[in-house]
Amino acid sequence: MPPHVPPAMPDEPGQPDPHRHDTLLYLDGVSVAFDGFQALNNLSMVVGRTEMRAVIGPNGAGKTTMMDVITGKTRPDSGTLRFGETIDLTRHDEADIASFGIGRKFQKPTVFESHTVEDNLALALKGRRGPFAALFHVASDDERQRIDDLLSLIRLAHLRAAPAGGLSHGQKQWLEIGMLLAQDPQLLLIDEPAAGMTDAETAATAELLRDIARTHSVVVVEHDMAFVRALDVKVTVLHEGSVLAEGSLDHVSANRKVIDVYLGR
Amino acid sequence: MYPPPPTLPRAALNACAAASALPAPKSSRGPMIRACLPPPAPAILALRALLLLALVLGASLAGNQARAGESPDLRAAIAALAKGSFAETEKRIAALTALGDARAVPALEALAGGDLYRRKADGAVFIVSGASGGYRLTDPLTLQDAGTAGRREVKKIRVNNRLRRAIRAALGALTLSASDPARRLAAAEAILKARDKEAVETLDRALARETVAEVAAALQAARAAAVLASDRSAEEKSAAINVLAARGDREAMAIVASIAATEDQALAGQATAALARMERSQALWDVARNIWYGLSLGSVLLLAAIGLAITFGVMGVINMAHGEMVMLGAYTAFMVQGLFGALVPGQIDYALVVALPAAFLVTGLVGIAIERGVIRFLHARPLETLLATWGVSLILQQGVRTLFGPTNREVGTPSFMSGAFELGQLTITYNRLWILVFSLALFAALIAAMKKTRFGLTIRAVTQNRRMAASMGIRTPLVDALTFGLGSGIAGIAGVALSQIDNVSPNLGQSYIIDSFMVVVFGGVGNLWGTLLGAMSLGIANKFLEPFAGAVLAKILVLVFLILFIQKRPRGLFALKGRAVEA
Amino acid sequence: MTRRFFTHGMTRGGWVFLALLAAAGLLIPLLNLALPESHPLHMPTYAVTLSGKYLTYALLALALDLVWGYCGILSLGHAAFFALGGYAMGMYLMRQIGPRGVYGDPLLPDFMVFLDWQELPWYWLGFDLFPVALAMALVVPGVLAFVFGWFAFRARVGGVYLSIITQAMTYALLLAFFRNDMGFGGNNGLTDFKEILGFDLQSDATRAGLFAASALALGLAFVLCVAITSSRLGKVLIAVRDAESRTRFLGYRVEHYKLFVWTVSAMLAGLAGALYVPQVGIINPGEFAPANSIEAVIWVAIGGRGTLVGPILGAGLVNFAKSWFTAALPELWLFALGALFIAVTLFLPRGLVGSLPRLWAKATGTRSKAPPDARAKAPAAAE
Repeated sequence: MPPHVPPAMPDEPGQPDPHRHDTLLYLDGVSVAFDGFQALNNLSMVVGRTEMRAVIGPNGAGKTTMMDVITGKTRPDSGTLRFGETIDLTRHDEADIASFGIGRKFQKPTVFESHTVEDNLALALKGRRGPFAALFHVASDDERQRIDDLLSLIRLAHLRAAPAGGLSHGQKQWLEIGMLLAQDPQLLLIDEPAAGMTDAETAATAELLRDIARTHSVVVVEHDMAFVRALDVKVTVLHEGSVLAEGSLDHVSANRKVIDVYLGR
Repeated sequence: MYPPPPTLPRAALNACAAASALPAPKSSRGPMIRACLPPPAPAILALRALLLLALVLGASLAGNQARAGESPDLRAAIAALAKGSFAETEKRIAALTALGDARAVPALEALAGGDLYRRKADGAVFIVSGASGGYRLTDPLTLQDAGTAGRREVKKIRVNNRLRRAIRAALGALTLSASDPARRLAAAEAILKARDKEAVETLDRALARETVAEVAAALQAARAAAVLASDRSAEEKSAAINVLAARGDREAMAIVASIAATEDQALAGQATAALARMERSQALWDVARNIWYGLSLGSVLLLAAIGLAITFGVMGVINMAHGEMVMLGAYTAFMVQGLFGALVPGQIDYALVVALPAAFLVTGLVGIAIERGVIRFLHARPLETLLATWGVSLILQQGVRTLFGPTNREVGTPSFMSGAFELGQLTITYNRLWILVFSLALFAALIAAMKKTRFGLTIRAVTQNRRMAASMGIRTPLVDALTFGLGSGIAGIAGVALSQIDNVSPNLGQSYIIDSFMVVVFGGVGNLWGTLLGAMSLGIANKFLEPFAGAVLAKILVLVFLILFIQKRPRGLFALKGRAVEA
Repeated sequence: MTRRFFTHGMTRGGWVFLALLAAAGLLIPLLNLALPESHPLHMPTYAVTLSGKYLTYALLALALDLVWGYCGILSLGHAAFFALGGYAMGMYLMRQIGPRGVYGDPLLPDFMVFLDWQELPWYWLGFDLFPVALAMALVVPGVLAFVFGWFAFRARVGGVYLSIITQAMTYALLLAFFRNDMGFGGNNGLTDFKEILGFDLQSDATRAGLFAASALALGLAFVLCVAITSSRLGKVLIAVRDAESRTRFLGYRVEHYKLFVWTVSAMLAGLAGALYVPQVGIINPGEFAPANSIEAVIWVAIGGRGTLVGPILGAGLVNFAKSWFTAALPELWLFALGALFIAVTLFLPRGLVGSLPRLWAKATGTRSKAPPDARAKAPAAAE
């Protein structure tokens, strides 16, 4: 595999350097295989603090597997995976990693369908996660305030008592993003947020994400090129489990290899 | 007595050695988990007595057929048994034996059993059985009825233990001249067990005219045992130890061990060395025996699980009614046999062969009905499928109970499946061998069907990607129904085979269901080869644990191991790894 | 917690149930003891005992519902916890026989004398004390469940795999308890009990007392379950049931939650077993039979999993039907039970309590309060 693709943006770190203070997520040489199928192949990527990154690539390029690896769902066969300065993500499971401050939104919107919208957010709120803490938990005013804020942010205040199972597809996407924000993570991994949304919703989602990226690091996996363009951030193109190109959307769009495998002529 | 002697209920009864060392009655054999206690000493004694009886009866029949005319010597020799002291009687038994006439067998047998009486009036000797008000007399040679006698008219010819031993040896010696090699072999074995020092000459004579190698070997061993019991020369005894060492079975070991404990230094040393060699080889035979029993048990598990490997393994349907498919197959065998008995009497051997396709049809159709009627509505709701199929299993059980009654039904054993043969020191019963062969053949056929036929390809296509298969024009509901029918039909065929070793009762299926699931999960869901390997390795593991832990504990240990194993590798031995499985 | 419990933890149906249970717990013993046998309202003792037995079954169903209905763990081995609790109580009752056994040994139960045991095994020590036995009826199932769950949930064994190994667990225990060497009476189990806490087990008053105790235990367990399910912990459990990996990615350690509720449930089942044994007068290995566990599942399914009143109702209805059928039409009982399994899974996936309000709404033409697009998604799509 070719080594790290040369940087195209001026503010980008030249080589992966875990000790730089502005690096939040650091992947180096990560490989994962399923029964001979190489899902990730020597993948290296760096995401800085409060950076938003769009990840694109054809089906099977390893986008979802990359998220699985970062969130602890799948263990890499080899490679380094670091969060912040010190945390080795390969040593932790999903619950640990979530508590370090990595939130994840699934490709298919996944909310707790038999809970109300409000309860969905309440369960996601940052706080103690042990069973006994949960058993004796009493909602505080702060929490109620935070839920109110989130509900208005994701425009679901009028549905707070409705079961989440009854929401529309787009509303579920937003609720899930709201749950992510409730976790107050440092890094948000967002898988295809615009899928199944109307144009207006898509635009609003892009705006919401840009808003979020002011204070959080965000990695967005998306197929919708218009959406990626709306985000206006650095793009990483994955292909066959490793980075094919990296840079601004215009930069990667001009890349011959990217055109061949993904964008088409 | 309080409490009543512990009787194991069905479930625990099943927890037991599948392959019993003895050709025990059918009811005591069964699947994996059967509480087969090691055959207790009385059983062995009873068996020996039976053996002897069979041998004696056989000899007496031969005697009857061979009889040309009255032999005055023989009659006199038998009459002589009635006179004199125990010591004299012993000599007369020897004299009678020396005549070498098998017609003396009934008299000797009666003597040993205390049924030989002397008529006071004329000194004639009769075999006597109790009758009202007196005794019924039977002539010891012709075995014709000789009238009755009052209690005071006859006198019992008394024997002691020493005489009984002599009689046993004498009986053995007499049957050594039988025309059937099997009977001669049995006689030689009996003498070997009796270790009769007087038998050497008799055995020498028998050896001189013996033509069958197997019988000759047994005679040699019996002779060696006799020599060691006698006061013959050290050289002869040394040679005898070698003969027994070469034989190497438990009986020979017991004899050599008794020599190892004697005072003669040289002989004892040789015997000790021989014993050590024999123990080593015995240990190897023990391993071989455990493997054989394990394979035998494994074949039963494979039969029980093989249909489930399709319905649960390939289709992912939690089919709790799987055991009932096996049960229905066994009842089909029973029905077919009944029909055969009525239509073509005397051809019962073929009934089982006809029962196989019949069972496949019956259970396959029931399976399709279950799939169409219940399971298809519960697609992708595995836990509810589990409950619904459990309901089906209850209905099938009760249905069979209502139709056929709650008691066990007998499915006859065809002639080619009865009997046993010896392989070295292994006794291999034909029914176990056939079941092993059959289970492997069934497995091979299933593998071939899945891998080589178009239907198999279709099944795999539907289970791997239902939507894609549907969009390619495969009628997935039909394939679902047929696949479930195939799995059920295979379970029915397995039921026919299992009817040979298990009780055919409405509860038959219940005793297999947990084992079947364990085998499929252990082997790896969706992997047929895993099911084969899982069944065989669980069978063997069970049998190797049994000598240390006992049958029930061995079964428990295997279950605990499985529980832990599934937690370590939830997808079984041969897991399909990857994203598709996670989804 | 207390305040929350009374404000929205307990539903109106819950209060109604508790009131009915309290009324039954007082009234039934009264009708049995205070009225003469000739009185038309007299409750015969066998009926009191039968009702008491139903209450313990209801407690078992409640325990099962806590894990299955609320957390999606389908246990096919809950009868094991029930039977272990029963054995703990049975051991106490055996020790109470004292020298009144057939062999008259002051210390050893009859079966041990029969097996020629010289002294009491260590694990029988202390069972002459009622509090110890009662504690053990909770602790032993709890510890077994904890150890079993510790391994199973950490290894993320779920769905049908977990169901199958729970079944293997109860089956292994069944085989083990059949062994005479285990020291639990082997095949015959423990029976011939004489008295409990000094009260004659055969007397009407004791039986009425046991009934009242069962009602009390069921009521307390119900309150406990309401407290658990209405707490944030209960919401996490439902979250685990509906979307396990989502819950994980929110930072909840799912295995801890499962372990907690699994252990609590096993202890409740043990308590049910402990109350069951003195009322039926015997405990034997048959109680471990996998079929018993599966039958308990149908009580929950028919009543309505994911509701707390449902399983109690289901246990009562099914067992009442069983008593009636086995007396009147014994041949048909298994047909009826089998048909029930199929019918409930096909036509009534939410159970009676879960479905009736919907059916009622449909019949009367009123719309339910839930938004119309909150479709009939079974609350326990437990997969």
